[in-house]
Amino acid sequence: MFKLFIIEDDKQLVSLLKEHLHKFGYDTKSVENFETVRAQFEHYEPHLVLLDVNLPKFDGYYWCRQIRSISTCPILFISAREGKMDQVMALENGADDYITKPFDYEIVTAKINSQLRRAYGSYASLQNERTTSVEGLTLDVERLRLALHEQEIDLSHTEAKILDELMKKAEKVVSRDRLLEKIWDDQAFVDDNTLNVYVTRVRKKLAALNILDALQTIRGQGYRLVPNWGQKP
Amino acid sequence: MKLFFREQLALIFFYILQLVVITVIYWLDGYHHLKISLYAAFLSGCLLVGYLFFRYITNRSFYQRLEEPLTSMEDFTSIVQKSPLAEGLQQLLKSQFRHYKTDLHNYKYKLEGHIQFINQWVHQMKTPLSVIHLMVQDEDDPRFHAIGDELDRLKKGLDMVLYTARLDTFERDFYVETLDLQTVVRSVTSSQKRLFIRKKVFPLIQMDGDLSVVSDEKWLSFVITQVMTNAIRYTVEENRKIYFKGFTRGINTVLEIRDEGVGIPLSDLPRVFDPYFTGENGRNFQESTGMGLHLVKQICQKLGHRLEIESIINQGTTVRIVF
Repeated sequence: MFKLFIIEDDKQLVSLLKEHLHKFGYDTKSVENFETVRAQFEHYEPHLVLLDVNLPKFDGYYWCRQIRSISTCPILFISAREGKMDQVMALENGADDYITKPFDYEIVTAKINSQLRRAYGSYASLQNERTTSVEGLTLDVERLRLALHEQEIDLSHTEAKILDELMKKAEKVVSRDRLLEKIWDDQAFVDDNTLNVYVTRVRKKLAALNILDALQTIRGQGYRLVPNWGQKP
Repeated sequence: MKLFFREQLALIFFYILQLVVITVIYWLDGYHHLKISLYAAFLSGCLLVGYLFFRYITNRSFYQRLEEPLTSMEDFTSIVQKSPLAEGLQQLLKSQFRHYKTDLHNYKYKLEGHIQFINQWVHQMKTPLSVIHLMVQDEDDPRFHAIGDELDRLKKGLDMVLYTARLDTFERDFYVETLDLQTVVRSVTSSQKRLFIRKKVFPLIQMDGDLSVVSDEKWLSFVITQVMTNAIRYTVEENRKIYFKGFTRGINTVLEIRDEGVGIPLSDLPRVFDPYFTGENGRNFQESTGMGLHLVKQICQKLGHRLEIESIINQGTTVRIVF
């Protein structure tokens, strides 16, 4: 299990981060006493460090240099300062990447995963593979594969994102706005009509696994995935 | 020279008067030698001219300085001439200058402190913002959507404060590099995806090939965000588009941002870049501070980009950034 060391002075933010990272199977430890960060680091021996810039006593740059003098583990800065100069400064002090506040959970996990993979080889991603599973239906978001019993099919990137959201909230209504938000990325964005097209495609993919009528349209609200495939033999 | 004569005019009159009075007294007393009198007057006149000449030479630079306006605050300290009047003035000016400088220094110091405070404060506020952001992120409920929207507004407001405060120290705070226009536009549009989705307005990006511009990413993104959020806000009908078009015009690269919104009245158009100007649309749509476009203009000036704006009422507005 990968150990992540969180150096951040906002307790609420720390607890939210911890909760989220635990879901992904990471072990986390946060700093309570900001005077002995280095000693705590040495004691915990983490695989990756999340480091805030504004800290009591010494700033993040200081601790980054301190950690760098004893370890080469990946260090991710979390800071409210989005300026290029600030980022350059972080990188010059030995950081590996930079996350600006406020951030999405996805960004944090994606950056952590990619740093771990780079530092500890590709087996890192195997350990923390992202799969979602409902009543035997398993979605692998990273490999874009959907499996039920022995059957397995390929999905497109967007289809996987839609299914991921629906499966996470199985039996609950997921609004159209939320789906649009999830599938919007830097490369492509989807307008209202295109979402309909994607939903139709997802229904077809589900049908290929003999799942019918599971993805329901709730007029004026959104979509709902009802796990009706469990009862079938 | 002129000032010197004006200054000495009273003395010359007084001298002539004295000369006449003394000559008349001697004349009335019975002394009737005209030649000798004139000779005495001439000698005395020569003495006066000699005195005036001496005065002028010793105080020449002093008078010159009084006649010429100063170009900057530091100018006057350079000339020093040894004459009591000049030295006295020099002392006075020097002490006054010192006072002004201390005062000015204090204000500068205060202003810098203030800017630093704002900087610090905005960055500190981003932590609670991140906490709320994370808390509502995985919730799909209209109430949380509303909180998320308000959060976006807060974030925009904070950014506005930050960028306004930073504008004064712009020179220390920018990093020019070659940027891919398409990448910048895409990252800006996706950072505001919630706003797009909520308003049911969608961006359409068209680039004529690979366009790159030389600019500062952070400031340019701020400019595009401002123009874009205006475009979204003033688009009232659903399922409209915001068109981002990149092309080259002559030697310049141009980014055109066009909306199909309410447009800006012709009478308001020349003033949209003025600070605190909200115009008719601002009154109708609220939450307009009148600062957005003003900041955009200022930043573009500093970055060396030109701005063009056109608008037709009820058909939309086009803003062009010329790099």
